Amino acid sequence: MTAGSRLRAWGFVAPAALWTAAFFLLPLAVMALYSLWRRVGMTLVAEPGLANYLAFVEKSFFLESLLNSLEVTLTVTILSILFAYPLAWILAEKVPERFQRLALLAAVLPFWTSYVVRSYSWLLVLSEGGVISTFLLDVGLTQEAVSLANSRTATVIGFVHFFVMLLTLTIYANLVQLPKSYAKAAQDLGAGPVATFVHVVLPLTLPGIMVGAFLTFVLCIGDYITPQILGGAQELLLPQTIMLQIQRRSDFPMASALAMILMAVVTLAYVACARWLKLDRA
Amino acid sequence: MSRTLFGAAAFALAGAVTLGGPLAVGASSAAAEELNALVWCDHTDPALIRPFEEKHGVRVNLKEYEGTGTALALVEQSQPGDWDVFVIDGVDVPRVAEAGLLAELPADELPLDQVFEPVQMRDVTFRDGKMYAIMEKFGYNVVGYDKSKVDPADMRDLSVLWGDKYADRIAVYDYYIPLMNLVALKLGMEPSDISAETLPQIREALFELKDRAAMVGEVVSSTTALATGEADILLGGGEWAVAVMQADNPNLDWVLPDQGGVLWSQSIAIFESSERKELALEFVKYIMSPEGQARLATSDCFWGMPANREAGALLTDAQKAALRWDEQEAFLAKSHRYFIPDAELDAEMLDVWTEFLQR
Amino acid sequence: MTPRTVRLRPADLLAAAYAALLYGFIFLPVAVLVLFSFQESRIPVPPFDGPSLRWYEAMFADRRMMEALVNSILVALVSSSVSLALGFLAAYGLARHRLPGAGALKLILTAPLTVSYLIIAMGLLITFNTLGVSRSLLTIGIGHVVINLPLCFAILYSQMGGHQAQIERAARDLGASEAQVILLVAVPMLWPALFAAFFLAFTFSWDEFIIALLVSRFDVTLPVEIWNMLRSGLNPQTNAVGSFVFLISFLFVIALDLALFGRRRARSRRGAAA
Repeated sequence: MTAGSRLRAWGFVAPAALWTAAFFLLPLAVMALYSLWRRVGMTLVAEPGLANYLAFVEKSFFLESLLNSLEVTLTVTILSILFAYPLAWILAEKVPERFQRLALLAAVLPFWTSYVVRSYSWLLVLSEGGVISTFLLDVGLTQEAVSLANSRTATVIGFVHFFVMLLTLTIYANLVQLPKSYAKAAQDLGAGPVATFVHVVLPLTLPGIMVGAFLTFVLCIGDYITPQILGGAQELLLPQTIMLQIQRRSDFPMASALAMILMAVVTLAYVACARWLKLDRA
Repeated sequence: MSRTLFGAAAFALAGAVTLGGPLAVGASSAAAEELNALVWCDHTDPALIRPFEEKHGVRVNLKEYEGTGTALALVEQSQPGDWDVFVIDGVDVPRVAEAGLLAELPADELPLDQVFEPVQMRDVTFRDGKMYAIMEKFGYNVVGYDKSKVDPADMRDLSVLWGDKYADRIAVYDYYIPLMNLVALKLGMEPSDISAETLPQIREALFELKDRAAMVGEVVSSTTALATGEADILLGGGEWAVAVMQADNPNLDWVLPDQGGVLWSQSIAIFESSERKELALEFVKYIMSPEGQARLATSDCFWGMPANREAGALLTDAQKAALRWDEQEAFLAKSHRYFIPDAELDAEMLDVWTEFLQR
Repeated sequence: MTPRTVRLRPADLLAAAYAALLYGFIFLPVAVLVLFSFQESRIPVPPFDGPSLRWYEAMFADRRMMEALVNSILVALVSSSVSLALGFLAAYGLARHRLPGAGALKLILTAPLTVSYLIIAMGLLITFNTLGVSRSLLTIGIGHVVINLPLCFAILYSQMGGHQAQIERAARDLGASEAQVILLVAVPMLWPALFAAFFLAFTFSWDEFIIALLVSRFDVTLPVEIWNMLRSGLNPQTNAVGSFVFLISFLFVIALDLALFGRRRARSRRGAAA
């Protein structure tokens, strides 16, 4: 490889790398520094220390909100994969090719309404005087009004709604990349449809699943809107606790410490995913 | 096909470059003179702001916030001169004035005498004989309810909410100061009795309440809960939560419990660092005028009593009824202002509130 | 009906039922949203008492809402274009050249994917404050590129397979310059991925809330303005705005579809005729 082509390659990568350094790595470093400071009353005390991290361990509500977040996020990720995979498969295999793009666009369309509005409309759908409850009463499936809003269930429904769409897209993109000849070869070698799926299609779509699952995990565990609108402040999630620090106390140091902890959790999940994927491929 | 593609890509990039310019400047910089105001959301109603903009040929930029802590954080994060007008909780004026953030107001140019006597609150708006803010709007954090679903007589006693009769029918407004004040009243204390010593009692009562609550939420979720039948009672609610919806659902009502109510109050002030103090003063005058007051009282975001009595002449009978205009004297006599703790107690109260939410 | 041509197997019926169910789930909140945007009264729950255009009138009269709409489009368009351009270049550089430290670079470029928007938003907010950068649409746009650049990069990089490299090499052997290889060979082969990346980036920017909330001042994007409105209480105007955005998106997608794919369809029809 010549020096010239290496330089050219750097030229391609540099803009993105610089952007990431300036607007991502630097802010993280600043935040890491902040997390060691303290806010006392109205003033910022710029002396490094672990007070905020100690507070995380000492005050039970911080730790509880992290556990709540993990439970909700895992539930959402698993449910979304289970719902999305069959849909992606149907779109890739059963829908005639010329309608596939249309079907995909249709699946994405509801998500252009605005995330905030969607959470709010789930509130209207799920509440006691809402559409589902009214429908069930009218049909006679239930004698009493049903309320699903303002609960962890509502938060999970709101999340799954969004992530089913996202996972359908990533898994679909993976499925259509598979040369049809692979499945055909497996069948020619005597594999039934189930065996073909389990031994050929599924392993080859694992990257799509993992990319989608990981995106789901990251977006879900860091989301504030959905639990804030739908959760009814029943069991707080970590982002809600972080926003409480910012909005009610303007305590950026504590919020930064919580953010660092959240980031550590996500990084662990990432390392686990990456390692697992690599092992699987090898 | 590749040519179409390139057309599209080139178009996108050209768009990026052309639009990048205006992006940096911001879409609003075209107007001549601007006034930057840090406000509660009721000031964003065009019906309130437009007449002022048209009369003076200016543009009013509004940034809304909830809670004084948030507002002060915003101010901290700005450059001097960024802000002109500040709408702030009345009881928070002293600490903000003490920090040197507020400019002196010309008392003789403002209708302080027309403000309801008990809400003039000269003890907080004046400092060393100088006036730093003027009260503009007030109301109550008490009990909102749906009278077709609960017995209105019960709503006059806070302790009923701690019984089993309305278990799981209660929504709680998510703002720790007025709610802890209400809990103090329920326990037979004054809000100002809240201290590190009494906080454990408040905490216990809050947890008992949480076990009976259907939800805890900010303005939208808690009023939605009341309107959709998710909850029948909104603790911490008042005219601000139900007046807007009464026209559509006449069953919604609110009441001051026998234990007393918690009074919220907003004041308006001018930033010391403002570079447009004259225009800012014009804005304050407009807000305090009977016209401005009537529009502010019935603003889209939330209703509340106008501080200026003279606004009464411009409100309809229905509006006055929703605001309980005629009962204000009795209500004010039975109400307590927000209790503002010192920084240390405030932190402890917030911790308790977070635990309460977390349960 | 021509029964002889279509033979439906139970599995296909099951598949159709499943797809219908999921599409129903996906569309349910939007359907409710649109329906109650025509509600006459202020309370958007059953019974439906419309239709009324009252809340649409309120929305169009709302200057702040209209400005937020324009801001949103601007930010989404610009930030996803920048993300796509930077992401493509980086992916191309890393996929087609061997660079020392390429592994670390890839890790750094995709790292923002592993970090929650809330954290990115906080980091930017604290940093901009420290540096004295005032908050505007530009700061929102910067934040949106941070979240969308890794997405574009990851999508494009994963699609730059070996067989494409061979075709590019062939083009180079035939005398194509680097620019020609990129513009005439690499980009067309990657078209679906580019489209997907831009589309996703646009959608994410359009919908992004927390960064826009924390690093904005007066000029806000639509989600933030809607959040402001939500905090002010229950109101079918929220439904009207949501439905209006839905309508715009629908028209936009149709137009995009016709503009980009209409020609190919026409051409392939001609090809079939010949």
